[in-house]
Amino acid sequence: MSPKHFLIIALALLVGCAQAEGDRRETAAFRMNLSSEPPTLDWSLATDNVSFDVITNIMEGLTQFDKDLHPRPAVAQRWEVLDGGRRLVFHLRKDVRWTDGKPVTARDFEYSWKRLLNPATAAEYSYFLYDLVNAKEYNEGKITDPNLVGVKALDDFTLEVRLIAPRAYFPSITTFMVTFPMRRDIVEKFGEQWTEPRNMVTNGPFRLERWQHDYKVILARNPSYYGPPPALERVEMYVVPEPNTALTLYETGFLEVVNLPPLAIPRYRGHPEYVTAPQLRGYYYGFNVEKKPFSDVRVRKAFAMAIDKTRLTRILQGGEIPTNSWVPKGMLAYNPEIGLRFNPREARRLLAEAGYPGGKGFPRVKAVFNSDAVNSLVGEFLQAQWREHLGVSIDLDNQEWKVYLKNLKADPPPLFRLGWGADYPDPDNFLNLFVTGGGNNNTKWGNLRYDELIARAAGEPDERTRVDLYNRAQKILSEEEVPIIPLFVAAQNMLLKPYVRGFEVNAMDILYLKRVRLADPKAGRNGGSGKG
Amino acid sequence: MGNARLHTGHRRGWISLIFLVALGTAALGASWFAPYGYQQQDPRAMLLPPGWSHLMGTDLLGRDLFSRMLYGARLSLSIGLSTALISVLIGTVYGAVSGYVGGRTDNVLMRWVEVVYSLPDLLLIILISVLIGRGAIGILLALSLVSWVTVARVIRGEVLKICTQEYIVAARAAGAPHRVILFRHILPNTAGPLLVTVIYRIPAAILAESTLSFIGLGVPPPFSSWGTLANDGWAAMKFYPHLIIFPAAMIFATILAFNSLGESARERLDPGRTGTRRG
Repeated sequence: MSPKHFLIIALALLVGCAQAEGDRRETAAFRMNLSSEPPTLDWSLATDNVSFDVITNIMEGLTQFDKDLHPRPAVAQRWEVLDGGRRLVFHLRKDVRWTDGKPVTARDFEYSWKRLLNPATAAEYSYFLYDLVNAKEYNEGKITDPNLVGVKALDDFTLEVRLIAPRAYFPSITTFMVTFPMRRDIVEKFGEQWTEPRNMVTNGPFRLERWQHDYKVILARNPSYYGPPPALERVEMYVVPEPNTALTLYETGFLEVVNLPPLAIPRYRGHPEYVTAPQLRGYYYGFNVEKKPFSDVRVRKAFAMAIDKTRLTRILQGGEIPTNSWVPKGMLAYNPEIGLRFNPREARRLLAEAGYPGGKGFPRVKAVFNSDAVNSLVGEFLQAQWREHLGVSIDLDNQEWKVYLKNLKADPPPLFRLGWGADYPDPDNFLNLFVTGGGNNNTKWGNLRYDELIARAAGEPDERTRVDLYNRAQKILSEEEVPIIPLFVAAQNMLLKPYVRGFEVNAMDILYLKRVRLADPKAGRNGGSGKG
Repeated sequence: MGNARLHTGHRRGWISLIFLVALGTAALGASWFAPYGYQQQDPRAMLLPPGWSHLMGTDLLGRDLFSRMLYGARLSLSIGLSTALISVLIGTVYGAVSGYVGGRTDNVLMRWVEVVYSLPDLLLIILISVLIGRGAIGILLALSLVSWVTVARVIRGEVLKICTQEYIVAARAAGAPHRVILFRHILPNTAGPLLVTVIYRIPAAILAESTLSFIGLGVPPPFSSWGTLANDGWAAMKFYPHLIIFPAAMIFATILAFNSLGESARERLDPGRTGTRRG
């Protein structure tokens, strides 16, 4: 009766189907799993990694990251930085075509960006383009004329972008899916159905061939792609939510790559197919600073200082890096000197000062996280730490992801768990999360000094001055005010078949499959499958 | 041959009873018997296989599985017992009234039982535990609220059967008040089947609790029940089988014991119906 039983049945079916298909496979297909059904393939509305993995392979924007996460020209051939950085003019390639043969124009970008910002679209990522003139005002309904927003197609192949202040990182913003061009005629003709394979029109190295909901997504090489054609003819993405099931599929040779569940990592360390890479992904617990007892900064500090984070990462075993500051390792302005260190004595002192000596009289508060094996592990660990070092009992509650997000928006619990993965590799992306009233700031915390530092740093061209500004902001965030407890920087842990070539693992977990190829897949596959 | 079967049935019943008493004692005395606390984490002893210092091994956080199993037994058994008792209390009163009063009352009451009966248990339990909130009390109430119907049916049937017997007719004719007839003459005679039902309700409740915990709706951490332990172990099944084997084996053994105890109790206390359930 439980969902897990269904999964077992689903696994059996999936293996069965894959086996049947495996026999008649002649083409070079790359097979991977998706951890859930893609919630949407509409890139104005998508917010999650699963949708992102599909969209980044069927679409291309103005720019695209290279292996080292530097933005490189894609649909934009080049761009000019004008007016001291306040105006950017992108010159588009003229040979980029949609899958229906029509050229990709600057107007498709203008439409897409304005759609993202249109309050009626209700896109969660709308703030991504708040650097544009009037974007925030339009998105918040303060102005209603979209033509005032700072994006304009000067002609078919020239896109002008006006910014509220110089933004050195802007070409990184345009690598992200929400900035991809979009076809007005298609979206308006098919409505919500426009992302179905029979309707969808894209411009990337692959096109959406089939989307069997809750089963698989199939991408096929896009013959009208402007760049060098990808080596893979097909990409098969199976919806396998259970990580252990996916691992079994990998081991039996039905997947080319798989993410390792935490429990499996120690078993595969040293294995030739094991790949690990640090991520620009932070994991934190946030406080609702409006709710007692966390309205008292001393309590927040006490909680932050009562966690032995090195022990936590030893439990997780996935190459995570414990951290006391928020900007992750590998990013500009990463500074391990900042932040509150593990200090149980000082933590107890602060808690006593706040009126709860030895945890006495501390109200029963709830820590909430979304249901997931790692999250419950972390939750149970923190519960024990706070009990051990502070004498405080915390209740844990887990909620399904969508429910959880809704609750976070409506009424954040006193303690909550969240993570943040970089959308562009710049500290701004991490630190502007916590500006006053920010869309993803669920702590209810706000600090004008902090806001000002973040705004100044975003427009600062000199790197050293910028780092200095971010250092000061980080001190406020993780030493003085502590609305969040940064716990660790996550790492990627996966297995990759030895015959897969050109698979780039980058710190942002962006999956670009266009350069991937399979060296003699048949040989590798027989070796792996055994049962055949 | 019938005798031989009866005999082995009784032996099995005794073995089950001894097992359950031992388990109950261990569960009651968990705080004494358990070598470690149920939420005590040891960073130097993570994911150990079963051995002398940790009889059933340890989990990811370095907690002793044996101790957690003992505390889990306490939770699982007490949820099992209390739901059985609550549902028997509700079910007996409901069934007795329905069977004794009869007529339209019986009709209405039994239709309601059928309504509750026809709702899928798990769905109803999930709904109730969402309303009441997670935790042992929520689960207990939720389970009780769905499982009394079986008891009500059994008791009603018994009451109907007994009502037609001559001594009841005689008592009526002698002018005994309803209260006396119901409590003095009828209910004591349902004790046998009632006990059997209780014994069957316990494992059902334990299993239901485990199922709930397994799908993540059970007792919140750091408490452990067998269901939550099985849930934790399930994720680790491939690499650390001891985490799933022990909880699963205990759930299995306990339910088996309760069922064979129920079987042999029925053979003894309610011989008239022996075999009907097997058929």
